[in-house]
Amino acid sequence: MKNTSELTDFYYKTLYPTLQELEEDRKHLRHRIVVIGAIYTLIVGLIAFALSSFIAQSPDILIFIGVGYIGLGAIIYKFLIKDYTKEFKQNIIKPLIEAIDDKLSYNCNHHVTEHLFRRSDLFSPPDRMSGNDYVRGNIDGTKIEFSDIHAEKRQKNSKGRDSWSTIFQGLFIVAEFNKNFHGKTLVLPDTAQSTFGNLIGNWLQSNNFSRDELVKMDDNNFEKEFVVYSSDQIEARYILSHALMKKLLLFKNKSEHPVYISFIGNHIHMAVYYDKDLFEPSVFRSLLEYKIAMEYVKTLHLAISIVDELKLNQKLWSKK
Amino acid sequence: MSTGLIVLIVVVLVLILMYNSLVAKKNQVENIFASVDTVLKKRYDLIPNLVATVSKYMDHEKSLLTEVTKLRAEANKPNISDEHKIALDAKISSALGSIMIAVENYPDLKANKNVMHLQGTLNELEEQLSAARRAYNQAVTDYNNAIEMIPTNFMASAMAYKRKQVFEIVERERKNVNVKELFN
Repeated sequence: MKNTSELTDFYYKTLYPTLQELEEDRKHLRHRIVVIGAIYTLIVGLIAFALSSFIAQSPDILIFIGVGYIGLGAIIYKFLIKDYTKEFKQNIIKPLIEAIDDKLSYNCNHHVTEHLFRRSDLFSPPDRMSGNDYVRGNIDGTKIEFSDIHAEKRQKNSKGRDSWSTIFQGLFIVAEFNKNFHGKTLVLPDTAQSTFGNLIGNWLQSNNFSRDELVKMDDNNFEKEFVVYSSDQIEARYILSHALMKKLLLFKNKSEHPVYISFIGNHIHMAVYYDKDLFEPSVFRSLLEYKIAMEYVKTLHLAISIVDELKLNQKLWSKK
Repeated sequence: MSTGLIVLIVVVLVLILMYNSLVAKKNQVENIFASVDTVLKKRYDLIPNLVATVSKYMDHEKSLLTEVTKLRAEANKPNISDEHKIALDAKISSALGSIMIAVENYPDLKANKNVMHLQGTLNELEEQLSAARRAYNQAVTDYNNAIEMIPTNFMASAMAYKRKQVFEIVERERKNVNVKELFN
């Protein structure tokens, strides 16, 4: 498997002609968006002006126009960038994934199933789930799949209207684990201990009734970053060996985002909370910018490298 | 209701809570030790098979094999204390480790199907044992903390609870086991 610097090379060398074409498209597109955006704003402004006598009577209409303006604007924007996004994913993201490992297949419309998301038990069950950029394959005999996920929950606001709040948005990875186990073990970011300190934080964690038993791990650095809940004290430690704890800590530091991990049904589920849609082409910044390129490369590499980094391919005797 | 009565009720409640938490901690230790014991037994059961297989090849390590057999016999005696079991486990672990290193010196033995299978099973059991030991140590640490820290230490001394011993984690276990090397 290629490392990140080799991939950056691949991005700038092999993909360079495609990037240049896309860069031209992007400039045209940006121009179009600015022009259409200006005309659209002008029209809405004129409508608002024409309705000014109504607005004076009931200012509520202004809110209505504002919401309509943003909503319709978003739809127009999505429509405008649709072709460009498709081009970008087919010509940049797909080759990048194949360059990392040619046994992986990519589909820009699908996502990890809701069944797997629910099975992971990391977040409360969603009422609506969307996602894209689905990758699946077999690395060194270990099955892995991941995608961008956006899970939301329906809430009623004070006026009785539906509003959606995000449960999780980011990268969701599912892979076979190299040991057999029966119970359920969850590794979550340690918010209580870092907010309230050791004593109160620990007490809060051990009294979390929505989760299983608290498992205190014998690795101080790991314990500072994560909190572990499990249905079985011994199995949690069977899964989380000293070596794996170190590797998960490294993974967390590398991802630079909150990481949620669960071990259920002989699989490892990892959710990296980016709070944004990943692998989308940049419209207002150049695709050739190093920072933009690195984000695509790093995120893909992070997901695919878990098999190697967590040594999921080194199966224990009983799994062979 | 008089204040005196309220204070009395609160004191009794606190005492009950302290008592219950101590009993829960003691039971947790016993509970997990039972699991440790199960894995230990599984490992003892492997020893006769292992000794029988390797003794045909090993000439220089006869003393090692008799020692392991002796230790196993001792561990299988009924009514031995938990402390004794912990001590025996450390000895058996190191003896089995030495045998496995010695196996490396006999190419015929290394290629033997039965030995390879035993090695794999043993490796798996060591992983399980390591997990069980760590869980036990955590339960014992919680228990020891409770019987030494204020205010539960007063209750613990009244209940005649004593400190328990932890397993020493061998330095080897802290390192990543190179599975590839083991199987090649």
